[in-house]
Amino acid sequence: MSIVQSVTCPICGCLCDDIELTIENNEVVKVKNGCAICEAKFLGYRGHHRIKTPLIRKDGKLVPVSMDEAVHAAAEVLANANYPILYGWSSTSSEAQRIGVELTEEVGGVMDNTAVVCHGPSILGVQEVGIPTCTLGQIRHRADLIIYWGCDPWSAHPRHLERYTSFAEGRFEKSEWKAYMQKLKAQAGKKKVQSATRSGLIKTQPPRASSCTLPGAPPSALSKRGRKLIVIDVRKSMSAEMADFFIQVEPNKDYELMQAIRVLIKDGELDVDKVAGVPVEYLKEVADALVNCEFGVIFFGMGLTQTAGKFRNIEVAISLVRDLNMRTKFLIMPMRGHFNVTGANVVSAWQSGYPYGVDFSLGYPRYNPGETTCMDVLIKDEHDATLVIAADPGANFPKKAVQNMVKHPLIVIDPHMNATAMLGDIVFPAAFVGIEVEGTAYRMDHVPLPLKKVVEPPEGIYSDEEILRRILEEVRIIKKQKAQQKVEAT
Amino acid sequence: MIVLTPLKTFKFPVTAECINPDVFQGKTVAEIAALPVFEGNRQKTLGELFKIEQAEGDNPSITINGDASEVRRIGYGMKTGEIVVNGNAGMHLGEKMAGGRIVVNGNAGQWTGSSMKKGLIEIHGNASDYLASPYRGSTDGMKGGKIVVDGDVGADSGCYLSGGLIKIKGSNTGQFLGYHMSDGTIHVEKNAASRLGANMTGGKIVVSGTVEEMMPTFTIDSVKPKVKIDEAETATGPFYVFLGDLAENGTGKIFASKPNNPNLKAYEKYL
Repeated sequence: MSIVQSVTCPICGCLCDDIELTIENNEVVKVKNGCAICEAKFLGYRGHHRIKTPLIRKDGKLVPVSMDEAVHAAAEVLANANYPILYGWSSTSSEAQRIGVELTEEVGGVMDNTAVVCHGPSILGVQEVGIPTCTLGQIRHRADLIIYWGCDPWSAHPRHLERYTSFAEGRFEKSEWKAYMQKLKAQAGKKKVQSATRSGLIKTQPPRASSCTLPGAPPSALSKRGRKLIVIDVRKSMSAEMADFFIQVEPNKDYELMQAIRVLIKDGELDVDKVAGVPVEYLKEVADALVNCEFGVIFFGMGLTQTAGKFRNIEVAISLVRDLNMRTKFLIMPMRGHFNVTGANVVSAWQSGYPYGVDFSLGYPRYNPGETTCMDVLIKDEHDATLVIAADPGANFPKKAVQNMVKHPLIVIDPHMNATAMLGDIVFPAAFVGIEVEGTAYRMDHVPLPLKKVVEPPEGIYSDEEILRRILEEVRIIKKQKAQQKVEAT
Repeated sequence: MIVLTPLKTFKFPVTAECINPDVFQGKTVAEIAALPVFEGNRQKTLGELFKIEQAEGDNPSITINGDASEVRRIGYGMKTGEIVVNGNAGMHLGEKMAGGRIVVNGNAGQWTGSSMKKGLIEIHGNASDYLASPYRGSTDGMKGGKIVVDGDVGADSGCYLSGGLIKIKGSNTGQFLGYHMSDGTIHVEKNAASRLGANMTGGKIVVSGTVEEMMPTFTIDSVKPKVKIDEAETATGPFYVFLGDLAENGTGKIFASKPNNPNLKAYEKYL
């Protein structure tokens, strides 16, 4: 039995690097410090869905083959393709992503990562207006106003509040955890009183101000001392339950709400009484809180990037932050999902100049979401081969995109027999990055962190990096042979 | 006049910025056939993808007969001459156009007339998203010229418009029409979708039909009986005149038809 400390968790964009694992007989038996999702991955990665050997579809069935045969078949498909797509990349190491860019350039394809169905619009918004941001450490120690807009960290990034924002004990800002516990106790007490009133034990109940939800939110929630937490969402999510102030915005109306706040923080007047279902008088309270904080930050998620307006929502959110910086210090950061989707953007940008949806078909990188992302290509059925690595589009993409994807050869590299692998024609088993192989991943604030190897991978299973390297070498050999044949023919 | 006919239905995107009267000028059919194009990731010649014929007459300079919806960058940066597409045209049609005329007897793809400076584009079908809008991250919108669309237009059309005229005759537009425009005119003959003129700082948008929803950051200015579209045309109202976008301290104007927009009556109390 051995204990490995400071393991980086390969799940979400938080990349918590304080996980402690107990290893017994090359297996993780205990996880300390991790959230529920983290434990589920470290303890459950050896499930029966694991692919054990390379597979190739023959007569409609996936049959086990040797690694060399699978590599040659995959390379043959990619080298002969006229417009291949290489998609995924977000749940693997940056080292593998780097080889991915090289491979895409070699085969003249489209390289795209899962940002296209996630925070791609954030990138487009940033390219329109820039981004004032920082590392999570800054926020942990200094932020006194935290806004979660269109995201639910308590469910999706469970340790985000605890490690980086409201419930983190910072150097200059204290944790709100105790205050939150007191609030919960008070609420429980209130419920008891209510129940006693209902059952007739107490005759009358003095009228009280309602809780912090709208309508009827007391301004006092925003003038309290210490860290303030505002959640803006279409429904009262788990995170909204613990917020000091919750704004319930009408679905698909975030853009209007942000534009209105932009006017209000400039002391402007609006001709309307309500914006996105929120009374303007409450928005004025919010605008006051935004202007009067010392260090504010907005975290945003799919609630902004994938609702009506898409990248315009992000653009206006950043513009709001820009306007706020005329009055105080304010920053903004996307809540990235996969543990290395930021890395996929960083590596792609560092290698090709563009963060996602990069088209190498003309021999040089081009980028134009709407034209060059895998979704545009798949929906219009312009491709003739697909490689999917470390992602599961078969389970998540629109029906038409999946239908078109399976019309042509599909190569899948994944540890698990997921929906895409089941649809695949050539399937490679891969080792788990961050558990069975080491690598580098980028946290949501663009800080690179090392991923540890804590156990040995099963025999005959290689890392994504190794599989891609072998395919790339084979593609080069095939292309060389073809060029030679062409010379001989002429 | 050169007539191009696609030899097949294109599956892969064809990048053919050489389909341009300025490029074809003074070239024989054989020379035109040897011009380089890309089909997917393979470099080919124009003659491998199109049947190229010389026809009599000078006007139009280039005619494409057939579906060119996968052919991108037709008329890229053209300065003179005329292109007629009898069928659908692909993305980036007439991008950075500086003169001449393009007629599409079908639908046009995204980024049609992107960053154009001068000239005329007539689309007799629908136009897709980003009509006359610049490429990603650019603020270099349409500066001049005229685009007339008989059908609908997609989202984010006329972004960063800084001159020229866009006329939309179809019954619908996408969201964010005239986003961040600073000058120029957009005339919507029928209905406009929400977020009209968001972030606009100047110029005018005239909607003769209904406005789905007015942005809260616009303020009512007046009611006017009519408004000038260009030298030859005037739209008759009466129109509510809105000023905005206040979030950008803008002074752009949205003219919304008074009889067709009873939902905007609430603004009258501020007049």
